Amino acid sequence: MSDFYQTGVITTLHRLGKPSLERIEGELLHFSRTRPVALVLPALYSEFEGPAMPKIVEELSKVKYLCEIVLVLDKASDKEFQKVREFMAPIPGDVKIIHNDGRRVMEIYDTFKRNGLSVGERGKGRSAWLAYGYVIANGKCDVIALHDCDIVNYSREMLARLCYPVANPNLDYVFCKGFYSRVTNKMHGRVTRLLVTPLIRSLQSLGGEHRFLKFIDSFRYPLAGEFAMSTDMARVNRIPWDWGLEVGSLAEVYRNYSPRRICQVDIADTYEHKHQVLSSEDPEKGLMKMTIDICKSIFRTLASEGIVFSDGFFKSLSVAYLRLAEDTIMKYEADAAINGLEFDRHEEAKAVESFARAIAMAAETFMKNPMGTPLIPNWNRVTSAIPGILDMLKKAVDEDNR
Amino acid sequence: MIMQDFLTLVLEPFREVFAGFKRFAPNMLAMLTILIGGLVFARIVRALLRKALTALSFDAWSDRMGFTVMMRKGDLWTKPAEAVVRVVFWFLVIFTIMIGLSALKVHAVNTLVAQFFLYLPRVLSAVLILVIGYVAAGFLSRTVLIALVNNGYHYAKVLAEAVRLLLIVLILAMALEQLQVAPNIVVAAFSIIFGGIVIALAIAFGAGGIEAARRIIEKGAAEKSEGKDDIQHL
Repeated sequence: MSDFYQTGVITTLHRLGKPSLERIEGELLHFSRTRPVALVLPALYSEFEGPAMPKIVEELSKVKYLCEIVLVLDKASDKEFQKVREFMAPIPGDVKIIHNDGRRVMEIYDTFKRNGLSVGERGKGRSAWLAYGYVIANGKCDVIALHDCDIVNYSREMLARLCYPVANPNLDYVFCKGFYSRVTNKMHGRVTRLLVTPLIRSLQSLGGEHRFLKFIDSFRYPLAGEFAMSTDMARVNRIPWDWGLEVGSLAEVYRNYSPRRICQVDIADTYEHKHQVLSSEDPEKGLMKMTIDICKSIFRTLASEGIVFSDGFFKSLSVAYLRLAEDTIMKYEADAAINGLEFDRHEEAKAVESFARAIAMAAETFMKNPMGTPLIPNWNRVTSAIPGILDMLKKAVDEDNR
Repeated sequence: MIMQDFLTLVLEPFREVFAGFKRFAPNMLAMLTILIGGLVFARIVRALLRKALTALSFDAWSDRMGFTVMMRKGDLWTKPAEAVVRVVFWFLVIFTIMIGLSALKVHAVNTLVAQFFLYLPRVLSAVLILVIGYVAAGFLSRTVLIALVNNGYHYAKVLAEAVRLLLIVLILAMALEQLQVAPNIVVAAFSIIFGGIVIALAIAFGAGGIEAARRIIEKGAAEKSEGKDDIQHL
């Protein structure tokens, strides 16, 4: 059970006491009559061969309040697509699978390209964006929830708590991000603990208070991949297709909506999914790639807010970050000690050194090309450029699922 | 002598066949030349057309004009330019085959070829009706939608879709009638479907609008009678 302290400019919804899943699902079923909910699942075929997906399907088959489930399947052949359809069959209700490598969906991507709309490279960002397009085209749902497909300890309570704030018309939230502790026998979530929070706070200490930095710092787990939002938001928000997806999406939420309508919710006591390797020597892989993309996304957002960056600023930032991150390691060491968790201080320090190098690399890239934005255009712009695109997308997905 | 007659009897059919072949061979050669030339020409046209349509960004234009959506709704997923190229190519191939067949100078084939060429304008006009009709239906449906939305009608989208559906039924009937595909059945089916939709709408709006219509008539009558009073006073 967590405390009830409210941090930052957004609302935090804690897990207090032992909330009943039956009650929350009952209410969601009631809300879904006026605010139908769609669930978007970006997945790779390889995830269907792992341990997480069977549990997710089992849990989702018990959920009654979902209006539709849209699974975007990446890196799958036609045969594998059919296998996934069979795999998802136990879930009652409307389940659609977008076959990213299918003939029809590939033609949809080609339509974007020839009309000058860059939708980036394949990945979670692009998959999620296409799924939003399908939900918009279907026009049945007012709320979209999204979570990853590699959650080993998935329970439908996560989904219920994630959807509740946006689906409940009395609360009037348009965006809700999940948070949780990523703890097993040790603390995980290195990028959030040792990069994002120290970096944001270093930027605040160097550049002074800034609304965006305050906004990002308000999230307990800004890199969490689980969120719910209104379908209207999916129309107006642009989505990054690289590893800056989570931070970039938050930047778009910050840009388009008041923080009063944004919340975060405690969705699970613990959360376990696949872990990325650090790959400190290769900036094109693993956590290093993720780190560089996240830093670039933050720098770009701040630049668009009028912050002026210089070489001197970035040099000071590296030093400030390093100091703050080292202090943070000490805090987590104490936290681990009192909870009896394993803590490898050397590994943590090595991660911080790698992240410092990544910040320098991101700064260099940003200074060379501050305009290089990997954002996928929002659906309003896409439908303006290609008026019939939503009909085409709907037809492609419906035919694939026939 | 008997042997001579017998040989003549045996060889005569061969001679006749050979003479027939001699008469037919130039026609056959002409047909093959036409076919080969036509196929080469069709391939050249296909390559040139493909390049021209790519240069003109025909696919993107089709996307914006709604032709791509029309294709996708029919579950056709080739690129619009490629579809046009294929249609033109196969049209030229069929055209070449027809001309080639006519070079054979066989009566039955000639009749078939003549019928084909007579039917061609009908196919072209049916295609034209479909294309123009589809664009017009989209335009009118959108106009209705915007007008109704601006006037605050709740069922603007449904009505706009109804207009589009009616127009598409009309266009399809016109195209089929043009192609002379069971024209009597088409006209009857169209009359039944179109009439049915119109009657359904008339009943729906009529029955639902009795009160509104009564109010409008009563209001009009009241205004009229008030107007009469004014004149009398004057």
